[in-house]
Amino acid sequence: MTPNNPEKEMPMKDDYLWDGSGKPDPEVQRLESLLAEFSHTERPLTLPAETSPLSSKPPGLAVQFPWLPRLAAAAVILLASIIILFLPSIRVVLSPTGPSWDVANLEGAPQIGSESISANRSTAKLYVGQTLTTNSSSRVSLSEADLGQIQIDPNSRVRLLQSGPSHKRLQLEVGTIHAAIWAPPGEFVVDTPSAIAVDLGCAYTLHVTPDGSGTIRTILGWVGFHLNGRDSFIPAGAMCSTRPKVGPGTPYFEDVSESFREALHTFDQSEPGSDGASAALATVLSQSRAKDGLTLWHLLTRTSGAERVEVYERFAALVPPPQGVAREGILRLDSHMLDLYWNALDLGDISIWREWEQSTDAHPAPASKQLPAKKELLLKKNLAP
Amino acid sequence: MNFSSDDALVRAAQKGDRSAFGHLYSRYSRMVHGILLSRVPHSEVDDLVQDVFLQALPRLAALREVSKFPGWLASIARNRANDFHRRSKPHDEFSERSANEEFDPPSFAPPPHSSTEAHAALDAILALPEAYRETLILRLVEGMTGPEIAQRTGLTHGSVRVNLHRGMQQLREILARRAPLAGGEL
Repeated sequence: MTPNNPEKEMPMKDDYLWDGSGKPDPEVQRLESLLAEFSHTERPLTLPAETSPLSSKPPGLAVQFPWLPRLAAAAVILLASIIILFLPSIRVVLSPTGPSWDVANLEGAPQIGSESISANRSTAKLYVGQTLTTNSSSRVSLSEADLGQIQIDPNSRVRLLQSGPSHKRLQLEVGTIHAAIWAPPGEFVVDTPSAIAVDLGCAYTLHVTPDGSGTIRTILGWVGFHLNGRDSFIPAGAMCSTRPKVGPGTPYFEDVSESFREALHTFDQSEPGSDGASAALATVLSQSRAKDGLTLWHLLTRTSGAERVEVYERFAALVPPPQGVAREGILRLDSHMLDLYWNALDLGDISIWREWEQSTDAHPAPASKQLPAKKELLLKKNLAP
Repeated sequence: MNFSSDDALVRAAQKGDRSAFGHLYSRYSRMVHGILLSRVPHSEVDDLVQDVFLQALPRLAALREVSKFPGWLASIARNRANDFHRRSKPHDEFSERSANEEFDPPSFAPPPHSSTEAHAALDAILALPEAYRETLILRLVEGMTGPEIAQRTGLTHGSVRVNLHRGMQQLREILARRAPLAGGEL
C-alpha cells in the first residue's frame, strides 16, 4: 500500500497529523473542518432475514439433477394457486410479527406505514421496520414495558429500528418526541439526521427540523449526543443543538444570558481559530458561572493552542480541578483526566458513557451504575404516564 | 459474552451472532466508508458500505485468523470499489485490464449542499496516489488517528505515518498550485 520503503522512514514531526497531539497544524485543522461534511454517518445495517454466516452455497444441484428446474417451476405455479385460493387466511399469517411497541392514538389520525389509525381505534402496534407518521392534527404515544413512554408530536415521522431486550433504537426523521425512559442507561438510542441521542436517564425532548438539524432539551438525568467521534453531554436543565455533517454543538444551561447563548452559537458556527470564534469565545468565558463548567468542559476539546489554555484557566478558576487532574494533562486532552474533571461537575457518571461506547448498546450498564429507581423518579416528577 | 475485543466479536459473528456482527459494523463502517470514498463517487458510498458488510457476512465463517478481520474487511471494501468501476465500464475496456490494476480516482460530482471549498479539498485528495488518498481520507474526513488507521486497516504504523506525511506534503503542493487559479485559499 505504501510506495518505497516506509519502515525505514525517519519518524516525522507532525504529531498533530499523526494522532491529534502536539502543536495543531492550521492547514490540517482547516481541512478537517472542511471535509467533515463528507464523513461517515452511520445508518442501520439491514441484514437479509435468512442469511446465516455459517451457511454455504450448495454445489450445482441443477447440473446433477437436470429435471430440477422444471420441478421448481411446477412448485411455484402450485404455490401461486394456493396463495390465490387461500389469500384471506394467509393475510393473517403475513401480518407483521416480532417485537413491537404499543401505539396509543392521542389525537387525529396518525399513520403506521400507509394505514391510518382511525378515530375509533385507539391503540395499535408499531413493529420493527415500520414508520409512524403524524400530520399537523395528530399525536400519538409509544410505549414499551421495559423502556418507557415516548410522545410523538404533530408533523413527526419516526421509524422503529430495533427492539431487542437490551437494545432499542428509534429513528426520528423529522418532528418532535418527548421521551420518558426507565430502561437502563445506554439502552435506548434515537437516530437523527445529524446525531445519535443516547439516553443516559431519563426524560428529554428531541426536535428535528426538515433540514436535519436537531435540538435536545433534557428534563431529568442526562443524554449523550454523538456523531463521528464528537460527543456532547446534556444534563437536566441544559440543551444542545446539532447540525448535519457537523454533529453536536456545545451544550449549555437554559438559564444562561442571551449574549452567552448567542456567543456560543457564533463559536459553534465559526471556523476554528477565526476572529469571530475568538471574540465569541471571549464573551463565553467572561460570562461563565460555576455551573457553566458544563460548557467549558466541552470547549476544552473544541479549542486548541492558546484558546484551550484560556478555557482551562477560566474553568479551573470556577471549578477547581479534582485530585488526579493536572493542567498539562488537560491541555493535552488526556482522556482519563478529562473524565475525572467531568465527574467533578457531578452531572452524571461518565463511565456509563464510556461503557456505552465500548458495548454500543448491547450491554446495559451494571445495576450499580444505573440511576436509582428511574421509573419511580419519573413518577415523582410527574413525567411518567 | 464479552464483546470488548474485536476478536471476540468476530468469533461470535462467525457462530451466527448477528448482534456481534452489528457491533463490528458500528466499529468498522467508518473505515469502510473512508476506503470507498477514496475510490468511488461520494453519492455511491453509503450504499456500497452496506454492500461491503452484506458481502462480508456470509464469508466470515471462512476467515481462519480472527485477528486478520480488519485487513480482510478492508480488502473486501477495496474490491467492492473496483467492482463498482468494473460494472460501470464497457465490457471490452475492462477485459483488457488486469485484475490487480488500479482504477482512476473517482470523477467527483459534488453532492447537494456541499461547499465549493470542501469539494475542492476532497478533489485535491482524490488526485493523490491511492495509498495516500485512502490514508488521508481516513484521517482528514473520517477523523481517525494514525494509530486507529493502522489498527483498523491492518497496515503497520510505519506505513500509515509515511502515507500521512507524504500524502499531506503532496496535498499541500496541490492546494498551493490551485489556490491562485481558484482565487481563494484552496
